[in-house]
Amino acid sequence: MSAISTELLQGILQHLLLVSAAVGIATLLGVLLGVVAYWVRGLGNVLLLAAEIIQTIPSLALLALLMILFGLGNTTLVVGLVLYALLPIMRGTHTGLQNISPHLREAARGMGMSRLQRLFGVELPLSFPLIFSGVKIALVNSLSVAVMGVLIGAGGLGGIIYRGIQSLQMQRILLGAVPVVLMALLLEYGMSFVEKWLTNTRRPQTHPLNSPEETI
Amino acid sequence: MKHTNRKLLSVLLICLMILPLALSGCAGKNKLVIGSKDFSENILLGELLAQLVEAKTDIKVERKLNLGGTFVCFEAIKKGNIDLYAEYTGTALTAQLNRDVIADPEEAYAVVAAEFQRQFGVSWLSPLGFNNTYTLAVTDEVYQTHGVETFSDLIPIADQLVFGAEHEFFDRQDGYDGLVETYGLTFKGEPQKMNVNLKYQAIGNGDMDVTDAFATDGAILRYNLKVLTDDLGFFPPYYAAPIVRTETLERFPELEAVLDLMAGLITDAVMTELNYQVDVEGEEIADVARAFLLEQGLID
Amino acid sequence: MKFAEFVGKNHQILLDSLLRHIELVTISVLGGMLLAIPLGIWLTRHRRLAGPVLALAGTVQTIPGLVMLGFALILLGTGMLPAVVVLTLYAILPVLRNTYLGIVEVDRGYTEAARGIGMTDLQMLCSVELPIALPTIVSGIRLSTVYIVSWTTLAGMIGAGGLGDLIWTGLATYNKQYILAGAIPSALLALVLGGLISLLERRLVSAGVRRARV
Repeated sequence: MSAISTELLQGILQHLLLVSAAVGIATLLGVLLGVVAYWVRGLGNVLLLAAEIIQTIPSLALLALLMILFGLGNTTLVVGLVLYALLPIMRGTHTGLQNISPHLREAARGMGMSRLQRLFGVELPLSFPLIFSGVKIALVNSLSVAVMGVLIGAGGLGGIIYRGIQSLQMQRILLGAVPVVLMALLLEYGMSFVEKWLTNTRRPQTHPLNSPEETI
Repeated sequence: MKHTNRKLLSVLLICLMILPLALSGCAGKNKLVIGSKDFSENILLGELLAQLVEAKTDIKVERKLNLGGTFVCFEAIKKGNIDLYAEYTGTALTAQLNRDVIADPEEAYAVVAAEFQRQFGVSWLSPLGFNNTYTLAVTDEVYQTHGVETFSDLIPIADQLVFGAEHEFFDRQDGYDGLVETYGLTFKGEPQKMNVNLKYQAIGNGDMDVTDAFATDGAILRYNLKVLTDDLGFFPPYYAAPIVRTETLERFPELEAVLDLMAGLITDAVMTELNYQVDVEGEEIADVARAFLLEQGLID
Repeated sequence: MKFAEFVGKNHQILLDSLLRHIELVTISVLGGMLLAIPLGIWLTRHRRLAGPVLALAGTVQTIPGLVMLGFALILLGTGMLPAVVVLTLYAILPVLRNTYLGIVEVDRGYTEAARGIGMTDLQMLCSVELPIALPTIVSGIRLSTVYIVSWTTLAGMIGAGGLGDLIWTGLATYNKQYILAGAIPSALLALVLGGLISLLERRLVSAGVRRARV
């Protein structure tokens, strides 16, 4: 049985590595693109649309296309995962930035902050909860999509699952599937918890000077 | 400021996430990567070769078994993603080299060995000893009802029979299109296409009546299928042999001799029996491989 | 062989796969709707159960498609049936969640007014809540449809047919043309169906609500 447990452990580690690398890259890219979308309105709409279209492409199709372009292996899977992770993160960044009260932007400008200073000092920190939420969605989805990596020669838990399907063995499928689902659920609930904490420890600073309740 | 700390933390976290991947990219060239196609027999052969190399040499073996179909493995070995896998002469001849069928097994082997070396820098080692040819198999029911023995016997009744095969079969020169054209077969409705490992379940369920069985498949026995004779000789012989990147053989001079220990060791009957253990009796591939090598005195 | 040639030579297979794909998607989404909409309505009358039920449906969504197909394969064999069962299950959550939320978010003013003029629960449901929630429900159907078009490509593995067959063949034989022949139509199908239902969504904002917004 220990050959199977090493295989399982390897599978889990590879799976986590691939997903976290992909979401890490996607976060950097996604936030960057989200900021660009915020700064340059027209381009922004195009970018968001492009990301949405990528999301609509069936994952099997996208991975197969990437295989033709980049060959078999882990790198190809990571490229695919990054592409799928872009939309939620971009959208989270963009919406987060958009939700910032114009008064705050004015205030920051008034304080003499440059655009970049404003971005890193005020706007991104304030958008953090929504960016975090986008990353959460990206992570949970990637865990599932990464299972298909086995079809394009990548590692991860897909290998065990696929072998189980080929040999029609339920136990093998479950052996690979249960960790995936557990990790997805853990991330989903864990990160939602953090998300809520993040939005609760913050005052409604999106409209501090405008909040109707405070006016009276 | 709290915000800066959080930002720093996020960036750090992201770097940590990406780092392992970047590091793993630096693969060592002192390991041997053994691949296989995605059906049990080929996975088993890959495992046998892997265990043999591990037992007889100091070479570090990395397994990439169950990689995919024929062409996936072929691409992988050409690109160097894998160093070695078990291929079949007929497949190499018709599907990969796009040549016409050569009925003589030795001639076929000679041609593929020469061409693979010349075109791809891949060497064919000694055949393992069995011929896993494509065949057509029908359910026992069809056999009992129509008494078919050869492929040609199917012609009059083909429009009553549903044909099913793995996806790969429909995109190979030695596959569906060539078969139906050579024999003049018109099967009922659309052919069923599915994953290579699911054909037998489908035929057992009655979802189809005829399939392209591999001659040494264990499941033929399990489902009591009748294997027909290729009377027009459409399919070439498919003798299995390990194929290795030539530069890999140069990197590991001791490798060829070790792999040749398997030459001629696996007859048709032996391969079918081993497949049966895996597919029908549900044994672990690694265990079946080890048991066989032990029995042959190749490992201890 | 150029791609155009490839399409010309294989156009029958491509067409058959496309039609089968649409067939699978239609059956599964309709099936999902049939199960999800009544359940969603029922949940709005039993709100305490909503949390757990939606969470359960949400969990099904996290199960990777290959895994569900594997289960169905072992339990139901190959062909269209196991595929439709799995796809229907996947189609449920978006519709269920949107039916529930759509109705629950109906402005209290409307429901109280309805009760005030003596409507029964059923009347209120049909005349007030559903019409107002309709765009949201249709949005759920749209989400469902787009997901299902994507998941149906996997079903080719277990012999259900559809555009997935082309992709699976291309994967097995490392053949770019088969992959494109399967990938492009399925992506387009998802976009087109999503777009059409989106248009429908906008049309369905009930007249009363539209007037109230102005």
